[in-house]
Amino acid sequence: MSVTTAKAIPEPSDKWEVQVRKGCLELAILAVLWSGRLYGLEILRRLAEGSALIVPEGTVYPLLSRLKAEGLLTSEWVEADAGHPRKYYKLTASGRRRAVQMAEFWFTFSSNLDGLLAPLRLAPLRKEDR
Amino acid sequence: MTEVNLAQSAQKKINKYLQDLGAALRTLPSVQARDIVAELRSHIVDKVAASGNMTAAVVESVLADLGRPEDLASLYLTDDLQVRALASGSPLLILRSLFRWASLSLAGFLVLVSSLLGCSVALALVACALLKPIHPLTAGLWRIPDEADSYSISLRLGFGSVPPGSRDLLGWWIVPIGLLLGFGFFFLTARFGLWSIRRLRRESPIGAH
Repeated sequence: MSVTTAKAIPEPSDKWEVQVRKGCLELAILAVLWSGRLYGLEILRRLAEGSALIVPEGTVYPLLSRLKAEGLLTSEWVEADAGHPRKYYKLTASGRRRAVQMAEFWFTFSSNLDGLLAPLRLAPLRKEDR
Repeated sequence: MTEVNLAQSAQKKINKYLQDLGAALRTLPSVQARDIVAELRSHIVDKVAASGNMTAAVVESVLADLGRPEDLASLYLTDDLQVRALASGSPLLILRSLFRWASLSLAGFLVLVSSLLGCSVALALVACALLKPIHPLTAGLWRIPDEADSYSISLRLGFGSVPPGSRDLLGWWIVPIGLLLGFGFFFLTARFGLWSIRRLRRESPIGAH
């Protein structure tokens, strides 16, 4: 879903949408870290580019800290060219396992749901439903 | 000169934000709090640098994107308490975690109320069992007549006298039964608290939000 379609929906703060986004955030973070270590701002940028998850920045840092506490990520401070150190996150073995598990679930789940939803795609609303 | 002043006031805003964040995180171990503040400082500096120049407006929008320092801290604290409560299973940490959760949502409030109720029942049973040897004639589980045909069952700690016509239902059995039931209740309440926290965490990626 792109940012523009999200704006076209009358209530962007709709509770269901918020729940879906929240529920996917953990998987999205693990996925973004799949190919190597990143620091917080890079993770946020990848999330914004790749998924249009529209994540409030303030929720990602505490979530990273929680994923670390659960042993799915490790972190290290790296002195950067920018002149100040940055905190990099990396998947642990158990984080990689969890990411694969979640992705498998997601693929099965979403392809089943896609099947159910297929008739709704581009279906014009009937008069009495408007 | 004015440019330097602008940069200074922008820097002040950043420092103020991070100070407030650090203050709101004071209940965390200081190493952890410093680490969080350093990480967010690095985030802010990077973002400001990416948008070109350090003006008050840029800094303000970067800080606004992060949310108020108290809210940000509260996400860390709720989460930290829950992780520690889950890891240790300590009743005290579970209760503290529930208190924090209760201040954030109705579900949390209801869980807290039921947990406090469970704890008080447990405490009353244990207290009754322990006080029985001190008040052998008045402590225990009593059947107390109200009016003509009705009566009420009451757990009495033995302070004061028992209304006439009352019957001690358990006698000395209140000691083993009270201790067993009391600790049982306590255990179940703690399990209920842990179960609720775990459920809550599964439902939302960030603690109670």
